[in-house]
Amino acid sequence: MKKLKQFGKNLYDNRIWLLMILPGFIWLIVMKYIPMFGQIIAFKDFRFHPDGFFASVFHSEWVGLENFQFLFSTNDAFIITRNTLLYNIVFIVVGLILAVAVAIILSELTKQKLAKVYQTGMLFPHFLSWVVVSYFVFAFLSMDKGLFNNVLGFFNIDPVAWYNEPDYWPYFITVISQWKGVGFSSIVYLAAIVGIDRTHYEAAMIDGANKWQQIRHVTIPMIMPLIVILTILNIGSIFSADFGLFYQIPRDSGPLYSVTNVIDTYVYRGLMTMGDIGMSTAAGLYQATVGFVLILLTNYIVRKIDEENALF
Amino acid sequence: MKKIGLLSLVFMMFAGVLAACSSDDSSADSSGDSTDDHVTLVWYLIGTPQQDTEMVMEEVNKYTKEKINTSIDLKLLDWGEFGDRMQVITTSGEEYDIAFSSSWANNYSLNARRGAFVGLNDLMDEYGKEMKELIDPAFLEGAQIDGELYAVPTNKEVGQQAVLSFNNELVEKHGLDLSTVNSIEDLEPLLAVIKENEPGVTPIATFDAHLPFDSVLQGELPFAFRLDGNTDEVINKYEEDITMETLKTMHEYYKKGYIAQDAATSTDSWPLETPNWFVRKELYQPYAESVWSRSAGYEIVTRPLEEPHIFNGSVTGSMQAISATSKHPERAMMFLNLLNSDPYLRNLLDKGIEGTHYEENEDGTIKHLPARIDNFNMPSFAIGNQFLLKLYEDDPEDKWEAFEEFNANSTPSPVLGFYFDSNPVRTEIAALSNVASEFSPALLKGAVDPEEYLPAFNKKLEEAGMQKVMDEIQKQYDEWKENQ
Repeated sequence: MKKLKQFGKNLYDNRIWLLMILPGFIWLIVMKYIPMFGQIIAFKDFRFHPDGFFASVFHSEWVGLENFQFLFSTNDAFIITRNTLLYNIVFIVVGLILAVAVAIILSELTKQKLAKVYQTGMLFPHFLSWVVVSYFVFAFLSMDKGLFNNVLGFFNIDPVAWYNEPDYWPYFITVISQWKGVGFSSIVYLAAIVGIDRTHYEAAMIDGANKWQQIRHVTIPMIMPLIVILTILNIGSIFSADFGLFYQIPRDSGPLYSVTNVIDTYVYRGLMTMGDIGMSTAAGLYQATVGFVLILLTNYIVRKIDEENALF
Repeated sequence: MKKIGLLSLVFMMFAGVLAACSSDDSSADSSGDSTDDHVTLVWYLIGTPQQDTEMVMEEVNKYTKEKINTSIDLKLLDWGEFGDRMQVITTSGEEYDIAFSSSWANNYSLNARRGAFVGLNDLMDEYGKEMKELIDPAFLEGAQIDGELYAVPTNKEVGQQAVLSFNNELVEKHGLDLSTVNSIEDLEPLLAVIKENEPGVTPIATFDAHLPFDSVLQGELPFAFRLDGNTDEVINKYEEDITMETLKTMHEYYKKGYIAQDAATSTDSWPLETPNWFVRKELYQPYAESVWSRSAGYEIVTRPLEEPHIFNGSVTGSMQAISATSKHPERAMMFLNLLNSDPYLRNLLDKGIEGTHYEENEDGTIKHLPARIDNFNMPSFAIGNQFLLKLYEDDPEDKWEAFEEFNANSTPSPVLGFYFDSNPVRTEIAALSNVASEFSPALLKGAVDPEEYLPAFNKKLEEAGMQKVMDEIQKQYDEWKENQ
C-alpha cells in the first residue's frame, strides 16, 4: 500500500514530464503494441469473416509455418538474403563514417552562415521521395538521352545500357542511398558535437593538440556512446531494406535483379497479385525477429567490451 | 509494484482503444424486402475524386430515396490507390456495402474465394430481375465462380480483341497499304519505311508481344490455355513455338531500332496527343477509332490481330460487388438493380445534372458543358450498364447496336468460367511471380534475345516449382470441366 502511494506521488511529482511523453507513449501503444496482436496472422490462412477483422483472424485456419516457406523455397532466397545483408552492412559502415565526418566538418566551419547553407543543401535530398529520385537518376543513366552516355559519346566510347548491367549497380545504390541519407543522419551527430563542453578543446589546445588530434582525442570519444547506440539500432533493421531505393531507382529492371532484389522487393513482387496478408505478415515477422536477435547480440558484444556504451 | 501500475495503465488504454475501434451503431434490423426503414449505403468506386460529386449525389439521393428509401454515400478512390485501399478496407473488416471489383483492381475471384463478397444468385433473382434481363448472359454466366455470381458485371463489350492501331497521317503520307497487316510479323516493311523517312518518330509505341492464349492468373505468369487445338491442357506459354517466333520478331524490331531502346524499363505512356509513334497495340470496342481519333486530334485507323474472344478477364473487367460485411445486402442489390436498369439514375451518375454538366439536344443526344470535364468526369465503364447511356451528338447513332453485335460475334474462350483457386500453391506462385517479373517484361517488349533468355526463363520457372502449379491447375480444371 505504501509503495502504491509512493508510486502515485511519483507520478504526481513528475506530472509535467509524464505529460510531455504522453503523446509519444500513446502513439507507441496504438501503432506498435496493439498491432502486435496481428502477428498471429503469419501462422494462419487468412479468410474474411463478415463480423470484422477479429472474427476473421479467429475463424482462419492455423497453417503452422506454411506462410514462411516462400521466403526460403527457391534459389532466390540466398540472393535476397545476401543482398539485403550486404547492402545494409555497407550502408551502416559507410553511412556512419560519412555522417560523423560531415558533422565534424560542419562543426569546424567558422563561417556559421555558410555552414547552414551546406547543411540545408545536404539535408534536402532526404525530403525527396524515391520516385522523384529515380527520375533524377534516370536523367543520368537513360540509354539514349542520359548524361553518362552523352559524356561517353563525347569521348567516342560506346553507350552503356546501364539498366541492363548489374556490375555497376552496387556502387550506384550505395552512392544514391548515402546522398539521400547523410544530411539527415549527420544532424544528430552535429547536435552532439555542438553540445561538447568547449573547455575540453581549450585544455587540448593548451596541451598543444592540433585540429586533427582534437578531433581524434576529444570529439570522437565524446560522441562514441551516441555512435554505438545508433549503430545498434541500425543493426536491428539490417534485414529490412529500403523498398523505394531497391524498387524505384533500378526501375524494376529484370536484368538487375541479381544485385537489386532484396527481401522487401521479393515479398512485394511475390504477393502483389495474390495480396496474401498471411504471407506478408510472415515476411515482416521474420525480418523483425532476426533484427531483434541481432540487436540483443550486438548489445551483448558491446557490453562485453565496454559496459558504459551498451544500450541496455 | 511500479510495474503493475504501469501494466494496468497500459491495459486500460488498450481496452479504451479497442472499444473505440469497435463502436458501431448498427440499428440494422431492417430485414428483408421492406423498404420502410431508410438506410445509407457506402459505395466504393474507382476513379479520381470529383469536385461536383456532392452536388450530383444530392440529386441521386433524392431519387433513390423516393424509389427505394435509400441514400448512397459514394466514395471515389483514385485509380492508383484503389486496389491497395480496398485491400486494407476488406482486411480490416470495415463495414461497407458496395465496391467496384474487377480482374485488374480489387481482384474479383481472389476476394470472392476469400469470402469478402456476398454470393448474389438468390439476391439477384429476388431484387435484380430488371437488370438480369438487360445484362448480356455471357457476363452473368462467365463471371460465376463454381456456379455462384459474386458481383454484378457492367454491361458493355463482352469480348476482348487486340488490334494494331496506326497513326493515319503517316500511313497516308507514305502511301502504306494496311490491308495486308494481320500480325506483328506483317509490320516489317511498313516499319522500315517509317524508320527511314521519319527521324522524329519511334515506329512502335512500346507494347507487349501479342500471344494468342488465355492466361490463368495474371499475364506475366506462364500458365495458359490454348484457344484452339488441344484446349484441355494447361501449358507453359513460354515453351510454345509461336511464343519463340513472335519474340524473335520483336527482338528483330528492337535491334533495328523500331522499338525504343529503354522499352523494358520505360514507363512512358505514349500519350495519343503526341504523334511521335506509328503503330501501337490496343484493346478494341466498336467505334473505338472515332474515340481515339477524337482524343488524339488526328485520324487513327486499326487492324485486328485476332477475332474477339470472351475471356475470364473480359467478363470480370468491371463489376460491383456487395460486401460480406454489409448489413443491407438486399438494399444494395435493389440499388444495383436500379443503377443498371434505370436510364435516369444511370445517366445522372455518369453525365451529371442536365443544364449544369451537359445539355440535351432535341434529338435526344447530348453535349458536354465545361463543368462535366472539369468537375464531374466519371469513369463511365466502371459504374454500370453502358447501354443505358445517352449518346453524344457526334456518336454514331447505332453505337449500342454495334456493341450488341460485337458481343454476339465474340467467341467464348474454352476456359471461360474456370477460376483457378491459387491458395494451395501460393508459396510457389510467390516465387514464380518473382521469376516472371525478372524476365517477362524485357522478353515481351523485344529488348532481349529470346534464343538466349527464353530457355533461361523456363529453366528458372522450372526450379521455382512451376510443375506443381501446373498439376494443381490441371486438377482443378478437370474437376471444373466434369461439372460443366
